[in-house]
Amino acid sequence: MEAFLAGLNNLMDPHVLIAIALGSIGGLMIGAVPGIGPAIAIAILLPATVFLEDLVSLVLLLGVYGASMYGGAIPAILINTPGTPVNALTTYDGFALTRRGEAGRALSLAYAASFFGGCFSIIAALLALFAFGPYLRDLGALFGQRDILMAAVLGSVLLIAAHRQNMGIAAMLYGFGFLIALIGRQSTRKIDRYTFDIEYLFSGFNLIVVIVGIFALSQALNLMTGKDDDPPEARVSGGVLRGFTELLGNKLVCFMSACYGTIMGIIPGVGEFVAQFFSYSTARALSKQPARFGHGSPEGLIASETANNAVPAAAMIPLLALGVPGEALTAMMMVVFFDAGIKPGPDVFENNPDFLFSLFMALLIINGLVLLTLLVSTRYIAKMIYIPNRFLGAFIMILSFVGVYSIRNSLVDCVFAVVFGFFGFALRRLDWPLVPVVLGLVLGSIIVERLSAGAGKIKFMIDLVNRPVSGTLSAIIVLVIGYIIWSAIKNRGINPQ
Amino acid sequence: MVGRSDGELLSVVKAFYFCPHRCPAGQAMKAFPKDYETLFMFSEHTPFSCEAEASDFKSECPPDKKVKKEDLFKFKRGRGDLHVSVVTFGLAAFFLAFFWTETGWNTRKLPDEFGLYLAHQFGLVDLEGRGMRFGRILKQSWFAPMLCVLILVPTTIWNLRASWQVHRWRKRFLQPTGIGYELEKYAAALEFVGYFIGYTVLVPILGYLVSTLALGSYLTWRLGYRTRRWGCISLLSSFAIVLLFRTFLQIKTPGNIWLYDQLPGTLRSYMLTYF
Repeated sequence: MEAFLAGLNNLMDPHVLIAIALGSIGGLMIGAVPGIGPAIAIAILLPATVFLEDLVSLVLLLGVYGASMYGGAIPAILINTPGTPVNALTTYDGFALTRRGEAGRALSLAYAASFFGGCFSIIAALLALFAFGPYLRDLGALFGQRDILMAAVLGSVLLIAAHRQNMGIAAMLYGFGFLIALIGRQSTRKIDRYTFDIEYLFSGFNLIVVIVGIFALSQALNLMTGKDDDPPEARVSGGVLRGFTELLGNKLVCFMSACYGTIMGIIPGVGEFVAQFFSYSTARALSKQPARFGHGSPEGLIASETANNAVPAAAMIPLLALGVPGEALTAMMMVVFFDAGIKPGPDVFENNPDFLFSLFMALLIINGLVLLTLLVSTRYIAKMIYIPNRFLGAFIMILSFVGVYSIRNSLVDCVFAVVFGFFGFALRRLDWPLVPVVLGLVLGSIIVERLSAGAGKIKFMIDLVNRPVSGTLSAIIVLVIGYIIWSAIKNRGINPQ
Repeated sequence: MVGRSDGELLSVVKAFYFCPHRCPAGQAMKAFPKDYETLFMFSEHTPFSCEAEASDFKSECPPDKKVKKEDLFKFKRGRGDLHVSVVTFGLAAFFLAFFWTETGWNTRKLPDEFGLYLAHQFGLVDLEGRGMRFGRILKQSWFAPMLCVLILVPTTIWNLRASWQVHRWRKRFLQPTGIGYELEKYAAALEFVGYFIGYTVLVPILGYLVSTLALGSYLTWRLGYRTRRWGCISLLSSFAIVLLFRTFLQIKTPGNIWLYDQLPGTLRSYMLTYF
């Protein structure tokens, strides 16, 4: 309880409150503009967070993360274009409702479902903190270097398995990310790896340079070399409060989708896509009117939006508990932790429990604030859809410069960011996934760090897996790899992937 | 195809006209259209899927244009895939080639005896022939790069092979395989890369404010938004970015800016602090 009150007290800082407001409203607007998305916004904001306090920075980024999915539902419903990639399924039923003249109802349902999903996972996390708080303090003893190493390996394997039809490409890009993480002088043995005697490479690549290049610059190039969309005119008709009462009539779908979102968010490497996929499929299977799915079914809309929004809070759990980010956005947030001198992982429960409460309560406030903003300003936020893509691209490029140049005013940083940006641009053109590169970079660093730190206690190979946690995790790894091989054999001849 | 008679053309097309993965050849042949010229008007779509979108061809696999939730995970190899796959393979080969010299592998002391040497290469024994702790192997500087190379090389080879198969398929079905269009896009992107680098060079000379206003306005103009309204919007947006990041968040910019050095003392320090 003390930690809870201390956490609440942390949130009373005016800077934190301003960060919550800016993050929420900014995230909402970013989500509403197809073509930006939270990853790009967080990549651009990362360098600025260096100049802010740790909690202020994290709350700002969490605001962008949490609010963008609410915003992403607006273009998905009104013009059939998801604002963020995770709103893809929202278009199926949301746009169908809009075409029937029920845009207000669809938006209202999406807001209500998103709010329920977001609050459900936050409250679940807070309850877990209350219930298991005293035990979580002992988590540090349970999780050694080898256990966290295995958790990072599991995250990597799940990440690859989650890219169902292009696992080979995901593995390849993960390998590239991992290799980028290794470039530089090894800290313990002072041996240079792939530096080719270039002085800049001795300290390795800055994570921000890679992230800004791969996410933000690549998208800027992609937008500027593309064409402007010509979205149809969309009008928000009908009241936006109706969906809240409608949500009560779909309790089972809500609860099931929120559970999917929370569970999938906790599992590293899985994330929103799989959560909404499972949630939507299960909702259709349980529905009395499955034929309506894809043709304006409120259940379908609820399933996808609830699952999406349950993920952000849940995705913070592996990051905070194990120090292992499950997806790109939490991987970026690790930079803030590093700058703040907080090492995410089991020790955080012992040393900074108030910090954890602050984060989850901030997320709760963000959800409330976003909902309120949406209820009064949907009509105005919807106008953001019409900002031309190429104009956006130009300003993403200018903002990317801020991100890279402000680290150490280095032209070489900018050149490398451009190289990574060009690489990301090629990946985007081919529809290859970007996330494995960044997670390879972050998880690769964790794997190498934990390998070195835990090496002293490893005499034989079996020592890697002879602890309860590492043993369990390695068994799961074997199962997942077995599944990957089995599905690859099963799909042989159907698809070259 | 110029110079061939219709009959020859028809036989060539019939010989190749089947989809090996989903449509049995016989079935495809049954559905062979009378107007075979439509075959040459295929728009770009997924190889290995008979869900042709733009042709008049009616196969046993009817086109299904409705987006399904399963499409969330659908992956299609498009034009230019082979070329990027070649580049990624080249990169993996590059990292493999430099593995021996750039990871600390070749700086290790080697024993004379070959068996011992081999065991030592795999980190099983030390130079005196004593068994080595597995943990010591994990700590070697070459261990993690070896893991990466072990992931990279097979996956890039696999990717190249899959890409090549798709490329061959596209050629067989007379779909566009040339990279000209993609190269055009990459060249267009390079133009913007040039502006970005130019901007980076300009900031220490003209300062963050002037460079940002200049780049914002120029890019807006270059991208075709050339009305006064768009000019004002771009200037205001650029100024807002400077205000947010430099004035309020105080991000780092160079201490010596040529343009600001030409200003009188107080104004110079004001500009250096806030813009």
